[in-house]
Amino acid sequence: MRKLMFYLPLVLFLTLALFLLSGLFSNPMERESVTTNKPLPAFSLPDLMQPAQRWQPAQLRGETFLLNVWGTWCPTCNAELSYMTELKQQGVKIIGLYYVLPADPLLGESFDLALLQADVSNKLQQRGNPYQFNILDADRSLSLDLGVSGAPETFIVDSNGIVREHHIGDINPQVWRNKLAPLYQKWRQQDSTE
Amino acid sequence: MIAEYGQLALTFALALSVLLATVPLYGSFSANQRALLQAKPLAIGLFIFCLLAKLALVHAFLTSDFTVINVATNSSSILPWYYKITASFGSHEGSMLLWILMLSGWTALVAVFSKGLPLLMQGRILGVLGLINIGFIAFSLFMSNPFARSLPFYPVEGMDLNPLLQDFGMIIHPPLLYMGYVGFAVSFAFAIAALMGGKFDSTWARWARPWTLAAWLFLTLGIMFGSWWAYHELGWGGWWFWDPVENASFLPWLVGTALLHSLAVTEKRGTFKSWTVLLALGAFSLSLVGAFLVRSGVLVSVHSFAADPDRGIFLLIFLLLVIGGSLALYASRMNSVRSQARYQLFSREVMLWGNNVFLLTATLVVFLGTLFPLFHKELGLGTISIGEPFFNQMFYYLTIPFALLLGLGPWVRWKQQPVKPLLRPFSLIAVASLTLALGTLAAMQSIQANLALLGLLLGAWVGVSALYELYQRLSQFGSVTKGAFKLHASHYGMTIAHIGFAVLVVGVAMTKTYSVERDVRMQINDSISLAGYQFTLLEVYPLDGANYGGEAAEIAVHNSKGEFISQLHAEKRFYTIQRTVMTESAVHARLSRDLYVSLGEALPGNAWALRLYVKPFVRWIWLGGLLMALGALVALLDKRYRRGSSRLTAASNSEATNA
Repeated sequence: MRKLMFYLPLVLFLTLALFLLSGLFSNPMERESVTTNKPLPAFSLPDLMQPAQRWQPAQLRGETFLLNVWGTWCPTCNAELSYMTELKQQGVKIIGLYYVLPADPLLGESFDLALLQADVSNKLQQRGNPYQFNILDADRSLSLDLGVSGAPETFIVDSNGIVREHHIGDINPQVWRNKLAPLYQKWRQQDSTE
Repeated sequence: MIAEYGQLALTFALALSVLLATVPLYGSFSANQRALLQAKPLAIGLFIFCLLAKLALVHAFLTSDFTVINVATNSSSILPWYYKITASFGSHEGSMLLWILMLSGWTALVAVFSKGLPLLMQGRILGVLGLINIGFIAFSLFMSNPFARSLPFYPVEGMDLNPLLQDFGMIIHPPLLYMGYVGFAVSFAFAIAALMGGKFDSTWARWARPWTLAAWLFLTLGIMFGSWWAYHELGWGGWWFWDPVENASFLPWLVGTALLHSLAVTEKRGTFKSWTVLLALGAFSLSLVGAFLVRSGVLVSVHSFAADPDRGIFLLIFLLLVIGGSLALYASRMNSVRSQARYQLFSREVMLWGNNVFLLTATLVVFLGTLFPLFHKELGLGTISIGEPFFNQMFYYLTIPFALLLGLGPWVRWKQQPVKPLLRPFSLIAVASLTLALGTLAAMQSIQANLALLGLLLGAWVGVSALYELYQRLSQFGSVTKGAFKLHASHYGMTIAHIGFAVLVVGVAMTKTYSVERDVRMQINDSISLAGYQFTLLEVYPLDGANYGGEAAEIAVHNSKGEFISQLHAEKRFYTIQRTVMTESAVHARLSRDLYVSLGEALPGNAWALRLYVKPFVRWIWLGGLLMALGALVALLDKRYRRGSSRLTAASNSEATNA
């Protein structure tokens, strides 16, 4: 018994090595999103530029699109604007979900909508405007429901309003080519067959 | 050309490490003295060639040779020269070369300073270090060559060093940390040599102690500087995040600390033998596992290098050989060892056993907390994450009994300690710590039962006990002044390190309890008060640095009486090549509190987002770490690590003839 005790460290280490080996072949950044393959959560939110217009999930159906969570305060989001504008010119439909910072609704902070609109149109003029329109998620309810952990993040939503992919991080030529374009094309083709 | 010389030097180093791993070990098995004598020159030669390789890489960075891929991706021509040097270890490839330089450096140091060791031991230790060198040099040469060229198509300008790493902290943090990690290779080699020889008397422990102390000293400093760097560079005002890579450095530190204490028992009392050997194997094994976690991309962390499964496989095989091999050797050799020493329940042995129990429980907590997400996912149970609350709570519960024990430990004698003589000093210590803790809170006008009170009590308990024990010990020499010169340096070292722990505990508890922070929107001349300090935004102006632009803000701070304290200068830099934004927070530091400001985004309406912090006693955290390191340094100066060579040689000759 005492003799076997001395083999315990070795056994524990070999078990650990087994886990490390299988860990090598799986991507730690990858995680199943709670929202994929489910319909968009219910919402009714104003348009950023024309707040009188309100958007609901039903109005977004009919064509596969990208829902891009962004804000002018986020440098990476600003950086991806120009490439996404190229995508728009290639016919990709992109809708913005504007995430307001630093005004935190949970702390009862508010913001000046006119200033924000000026800031946004300024930025889009400089860098290019990839969006059909922007949805203003002032109290972050939709972002929370979608499981957004930061910006930028992008969802692929199919023509039936079902979330098909949750991409964390920016969209650049490489990411688009290797990851998002094949998925986008796939759901796009299903649109046309229906 | 220089880069090719570097690669050539590294290739020679590989050849020398193969010789170092084979010739002396062959000598040790065949009792061939000539083969054993080769160990020292081989070790020194190995270091020289590693140094040449490192210098060649630094040269490539200083001359901005962008045909070298490593230089092109991690440096630029406008980078200041000192950051060009640090850029040489900012990438995975470069840091591997630094690691190798440190490893060969320790190997050479062992060769130079092991005159007192028997030739047989010398050969075995250096041979084992040679084996470890082979693994890392081969990894660098074959899997992550720092000298790889991109000819004929090379960029005209580099991609610049990650701005996070362009900081004074980055100049010193990695070398210190690596010195620590790799230093445990020496303790490891001593333990393996002892396992090969099958002798576990107190001699191997005496030899291994100064080396373990030195490695621990560097690791402590490395972790402390890392924490300080994160605090002032990341702009969140945090000093420890329980990030997987931080944990990877903390694990060998915890086991190394346990090893230091366990070595004392093995040396002085000839007991805990198998346990001490296991800890010596464990400290370095955890350094290796840490290196694997950082470089294989198995875990998500801000520190990770780019992931590559081939590298991961190489490292994993290396881990299996080194750790698996050593643990198999341990299992096969250890079952014959028995400790004979006897001791009572209340004795120094049991106190140090308690120290080991708590430190290893802490190790287990950190280890499981770090790797549990991986286990969970690989077992198909889905993804989870374990964050700060888990670690904080576990360490809260561990620190309380650990600190109580630490206050008691140094007073307790070996073998057996009667309780009665300790009653008087400990009632004094208890009263003194209660007075100190409550007095401090009274001075801050905030007496309540909170974490701060607990931290102050524990800190005072450890600190007062350590000082009083020192006084007691000195008086035993007749008078304190006489004793001051007679007492061993290692005893001073222990006292200083224990006080360092007390200071750290106080710092953590006070900072956690009394820190306040606020995110604010400020226009020029706006004033905001926080914890009795008045922060006024004076001006914001554009910055123009060598490789960055951005904005700087001047903030004046006054106290509640309206007296001027300081003008803080916070920056938000935009690094043009990497297109990254970095905060350079402004800190006004005093022992009692830090005032900390970081500049955020420009907001619509000519205003800026700012984050203001007042963090009491945060300096104590790093001061505590520095004191622990100072304790190790003082202990290293102890005379007994530099004498007794003649006696050891005599003992070893008999062993050599046996073999």
